Amino acid sequence: MKKRLFAVALFLLVCSVALFAQGASEGSDEIAKIKAKGVLSVGCKVDVPSFGYKNINTGEVEGFEIDLSKAVAKKIFGDETKVEFTGVTAKTRGPLLDTGELDMVAATFTVTEERKQSWDFSQIYYVDAVAVMVKKASGFTSFKDLDGRTVGVAQSATTKKSLEAGAAEAGITLKYSEFATYPELKVALDSGRIDAFSVDFAILNGYMEDSCMILPERFAPQDYGIAVKKGNTALLDLVNETIDELRASGELDAMLVKWGLK
Amino acid sequence: MFKIWMWERLFSDFGVFLRGFAVTVGVSVCALALTLVISLVVGLFRCSGNRALSAFSRGYMSFFQNTPLVVQIFFFYNVLPRLNVILSPFAVGCFGLSLYTGAFGAAVVEAAVNAVPHGQLEAATSQGFGFLRTMFHIVLPQAMKVALPPMTNQAVNLIKNSSVLAMIAGGELMYRADSWASDSAVYGPTFVVTGLLYLSLCLPLSMAARKLEKKTRHP
Amino acid sequence: MMSFFEPYSLSEVLLFLFKGLGVTMMIALLSILFSFLFGTILGVARYSSKGILGKLAAVYIDCVRNIPLLLFILSFRLMFPSYVFGYKIPYKPVVSAILAMTVFTSAMVAEIIRGGLNSIPKGQWEAATSQGFTFAGTMVHIILPQALKKILVPMMGQFVTCIKDTSFCQVVGISELMLNATIVMGKFRYASQVIVLYSLVALIYYLVNISVLHLSKKIKF
Repeated sequence: MKKRLFAVALFLLVCSVALFAQGASEGSDEIAKIKAKGVLSVGCKVDVPSFGYKNINTGEVEGFEIDLSKAVAKKIFGDETKVEFTGVTAKTRGPLLDTGELDMVAATFTVTEERKQSWDFSQIYYVDAVAVMVKKASGFTSFKDLDGRTVGVAQSATTKKSLEAGAAEAGITLKYSEFATYPELKVALDSGRIDAFSVDFAILNGYMEDSCMILPERFAPQDYGIAVKKGNTALLDLVNETIDELRASGELDAMLVKWGLK
Repeated sequence: MFKIWMWERLFSDFGVFLRGFAVTVGVSVCALALTLVISLVVGLFRCSGNRALSAFSRGYMSFFQNTPLVVQIFFFYNVLPRLNVILSPFAVGCFGLSLYTGAFGAAVVEAAVNAVPHGQLEAATSQGFGFLRTMFHIVLPQAMKVALPPMTNQAVNLIKNSSVLAMIAGGELMYRADSWASDSAVYGPTFVVTGLLYLSLCLPLSMAARKLEKKTRHP
Repeated sequence: MMSFFEPYSLSEVLLFLFKGLGVTMMIALLSILFSFLFGTILGVARYSSKGILGKLAAVYIDCVRNIPLLLFILSFRLMFPSYVFGYKIPYKPVVSAILAMTVFTSAMVAEIIRGGLNSIPKGQWEAATSQGFTFAGTMVHIILPQALKKILVPMMGQFVTCIKDTSFCQVVGISELMLNATIVMGKFRYASQVIVLYSLVALIYYLVNISVLHLSKKIKF
C-alpha cells in the first residue's frame, strides 16, 4: 500500500514537470515578435457588458476594452483588425500572459501592489468605484442620509467591506442584505425590501432608469489597467503611448461615452 | 514554471492551502452525511412498492443524475435568495453536493436492496414484519455489504466534486488555491500541491473501495 | 411587445444557447472517443499484465481518478504550450479542454473496460489458447467483443458524465452551453429572467442526456 502511494505521488510529479516544463524565451524586441506573428493577442472578458461582452448574434466581442485593444493594434500594425481576442476569466488572465499565449490583457484587471510584482501594468484607463443607487422618491441625496437603512449588496463581493469602511468614516451605521445576482438587487430596490443598492459604478450604471439616482459618494476605487508580461517594457511603453494619444485627442472620452461609462 | 522561489513562496503561505483543505473536508463530511440520508430515503422509496413515492424518486434521480452539478449549484446559489433563503456558499455546497450525489447513492441503495433474495422479504412479511422493520432488521444489513464499495466510490466523487464550489467562491481548497495562484503567479507548484492534497483524501478511500469490492466478490 | 428575455428575443437566446450546445457536444464527443481508445489500452494493460505495463496503468488510473477534473482543465488550459514543434495549435482553448477531459475520462473508461473483461469467464481463455489462439488473437477475436457488449451501458453513462462535465470549461472561458448562458445573463435586469434561463439550461442538458441514455438501450449488436 505504501509503495503504491509513493509510486502515485512520484508519477504525478514527473507528469506535471514534463507538462509544465517549457522554455520561457525572453526576446529582445517584443514588438518585432508581435509584428512577425502578424497579430496582437489580447485577453478580454466575454461576459462583462460595456467592457468586454460577446454579441450573441454575431459572436464578436464588443466593449470599451475591445476598442482600446484595437487602438493598440492600430498603433503597431496601422490596422485595427490585426488583433486576436481570447476570452479570459479571473483565473486564466494572469497565467496566459506568463505562458506567452497572450501579449496583453485588457479584462477589468484591477491594478494592485501585489499584482504589480507579477505583471507590468499600463497607466490606469478607467477608475471604477463602489457607488450607491437609491429611488428618487425616497428623498435620499447623500450617503449620510442612509443612516440606519438597509443596503443590498452582492454575495461574496468586496462591496460590503468598502461600504463598511465608508460608513465608519461618515459616522453612520448601515444594515446589509446580501443577494446572489444584480437583477435581484434591483428588484429588491424597486419593491422596497432594501433602501439602496450598491455595487461597482460601471455595473450600477447599467441599471439606471428614470426613477433612480446614484449618490455622489464613491468608495474603494478600483483602477483598471492593461497588463503585459513582467519585463515586456517595449509593449508596455507602446500601450501607454496609445492611451496618452487617445486621451489627448479626446477619443478616450468618446469611447467611454459610447459604452455608457461616462 | 518550477523555480525554487515559487516553492518557497508556496510553503510560506501554506496556511492558505490548509484552511482550504479544512473547508473541503468540512463540506465533504457534512454533504456525505446528508447524502447517506437522501440515498437511503430515496432508495427505499423506490423499493417500497408505493407508486407515488417510487415515481417521485425516479423523477428526482433522473433529473439530478442527468444535469450538471454546476448548473444545480448555480441554480441554488441564485434562486434560493429569491425565496428569501440566503445561504452561505458552504451551505449551498452541502445541499447541492448531497442532492447530486444522493441521486447516484439512491441507485446504489436500490440495486443493493434488490440484490437481497426476494424470498426473504416475503418470509419476513409473512411473519408479520412491517415494511420498515423488514428493511432495517433483515434486508438492509445484508444490502450494506453490496452497497459499501459503490458508496465509497460515490464519496470519492463527492470530494472531487466539492471543487465546483470554487465557482461560487466557496472558500474550499480549489478556490483558495486558484485565487492564491492568480495573485502570486505561482501556478505549477500550486496545481501539483492541490492535486496531492486531493489525492491524499481520495486515494485511501478509493483503495478501501477496491478492497471491499474484492472481499464481496470472493467471500 | 417586449420579450421575456429582454433585451434579447427568445429566438436569439435559443440560437446562442444551441451554438454553445454544439461546442459542448463536440468537446464531449471527441473526449469520449479518445478516452475510449486510450482507456481500452489502459484497461487491457491493467487486466492482462502483471508486469511493469500493468503497474504503470494501475498507477495512472489511481492517480487520475482521485483528482478533480476541474484541476486538470485549469492546468491544461494554463500550462499547455501554444506551439508544438513550431506549429501553432489552432483552437487552443478547446483542444486543451479535450485533452484534459481525455486524460481524466480514460482512467474511468479503463476501469469500465477492466470490469467488462473481469466478467468474462476465465475458461474461455483456456479454451481459446488450447485451440491455438495467441494472446492477442484471443483478446481481439473472443474476449473483447463480448466485453464490449457488457460495457456499452456504463460507457454511455460515462458519455453522459462527459457532457455534464464540459460545464467546467466555462472556468477557462470556453464558449460552451454554460458560459453562453452566463453571457446572456449579463444583460438581464430581472431575477425571474435568470431563474427561467437556468431552468432552460438544465432542461437542455437533461433532454440531451436522457436521449443519449435512451439511445444506448436501443443499440444492439
